Amino acid sequence: MPEKPAPRRRLRWRPWLRATHRDLGYLAVGLTVIYALSGIAVNHIEDWDPNFNNYEETHQLGHALLGEDAAVAAEVLRSLDVDEEPADVFRVDTDEVQVLLETRTLHVRTDTGEVRDEGQKPRLLLRIANWLHLNRGKKAWTYVADAYAFGLLTLALTGIFMLPGRRGILGRGAVMVLLGAAIPILYVVLSGGP
Amino acid sequence: MNTPKPKTREVEHLLRRRSFIRRATSGTVLAGLCGGLYTLDDLLTSEAKAENRSDGRPRVPPGQRVLRALKPMGGTPGSPNPSDFSLAVYGEVERPLTLDFAGLLRSENVELEVDVHCVTGWTVLGARFKGVRVRDLAERVGVKGGVNHVIFEGAHGYTANVRLGEALAPDVLVAHRLDGRSLARPHGAPVRAVIPSLYFWKSAKWLKGIKFVRRDEPGYWETRGYNNHADPWLEERYA
Repeated sequence: MPEKPAPRRRLRWRPWLRATHRDLGYLAVGLTVIYALSGIAVNHIEDWDPNFNNYEETHQLGHALLGEDAAVAAEVLRSLDVDEEPADVFRVDTDEVQVLLETRTLHVRTDTGEVRDEGQKPRLLLRIANWLHLNRGKKAWTYVADAYAFGLLTLALTGIFMLPGRRGILGRGAVMVLLGAAIPILYVVLSGGP
Repeated sequence: MNTPKPKTREVEHLLRRRSFIRRATSGTVLAGLCGGLYTLDDLLTSEAKAENRSDGRPRVPPGQRVLRALKPMGGTPGSPNPSDFSLAVYGEVERPLTLDFAGLLRSENVELEVDVHCVTGWTVLGARFKGVRVRDLAERVGVKGGVNHVIFEGAHGYTANVRLGEALAPDVLVAHRLDGRSLARPHGAPVRAVIPSLYFWKSAKWLKGIKFVRRDEPGYWETRGYNNHADPWLEERYA
C-alpha cells in the first residue's frame, strides 16, 4: 500500500504575532511611561514649567547692609539661615549685590536690606523624562527613539491581526481601527489643519 | 458572620452623603474662585484688545490672552552668574566684540516698556526691560554689506534667527533687568534678548552670542516645526 503523504503543516503565524506583541509590549513599558508622562507634562507648558519648580520670595532684613560684598553676602546668608558657600558674589548695581548659590540667587538691595530669593528646583524624574522625550541629548538617543517608534508601529500592526475575530478583520476590530484613525483626520478637517 | 445592622447602614449612608455634599461644595467654591480669577484676567484681555498700537495694529495680537507677568517657559538654563557672562557680537562684521557683564552695564543702557507675546498664547503688556539696544551694538561692530539675518545664541546651543531689519528695530534689546529688578533665573538671567515684534521664543534667554550672517540659519524651534519668521499679528506660530 502506498504510504500516505504527511499532512501539510499549516503555518501558524498568529501565535508568533501574539508572542512578538507580548514581548515588544514588555520592552516598551519603560519607554512608554517616560514618553507618556513627559508628553502630558510638555503639552501643558503654557500652564507650568515641566522641568523646574520656580519660586520667588522676598525677605526684609530691616536695615541697610554696609561693607564689602563678601561681608554683605555673609550677613545675608546668616540672617536667612542658609548653610551654603556661595558660588559667586557679584555687584550688579550701586545698591544691588547678587549672591549666587547652587539652585537659587539672592538679589540683595544693600540700601534697604530687601532680599529677593529666587530659584529653580529641578523636577527630578520629569526633567529627565523631558530631556529624553525632546531628545535634548541627541547622539545615541536618536537611535533608541527611532527603535521605539518602530516598536510602536509593530505593536500597532501585530495588535490588529493577533486575535482572529468572528468576522475576520472586518468585524469589531476594523470599526475600532477606523474610529481611531478618524480622530486625527476629523481634527485636521475641522480645525482647518496646518 | 457580622452583618451591619440596618441602623448602622443608614448612618454610614448619611455620612457618605454628608461627606459627598461637603466635597461637592468645596469643589464648587474652588471652581467658582478659579472662574472668577479667569474672568478677571479676561477683563484684562478684553480691555487691551480695544487698544491699538501706534502703527495701527491691535495691541493684542490674535489668539493671545493677557497675563500680568511673564511665565517661565523652560529651556535648558545657562549659568545665571554675571561673572560667567560673555556676549560675542560677531559674524559678518568689521570689528567683532566681546562684552562681559560690566561692559554691558557700561554701554549705553535704555529702559523700555514693551509688550511681549508667547507662541503658547499669552501676552504681557508694558514689561519694562532695561538693556543695550542691538542696533547700538551693530553700529559698534560695523555690520558688513549683504548681511540679512541675525542669529541670537543662547546657552547649550539654543539659537533663534531674526531678519536684520527686525533685529535692529529700536525696541530690540540685550536686556538684564525686568520691571526694575535683575532678571530672574527662569527668565534667562543674567542676560536675555528681547525682540517684542516677534513671538517670544525668538528672544533667546541666557544670551551668549549675536551673529550677523548673510544666509538665514533657522534656529532651535524653527527646525522643529515652528514658523521661521514668527509675526504674532499674522499668527505665524507654526511652519
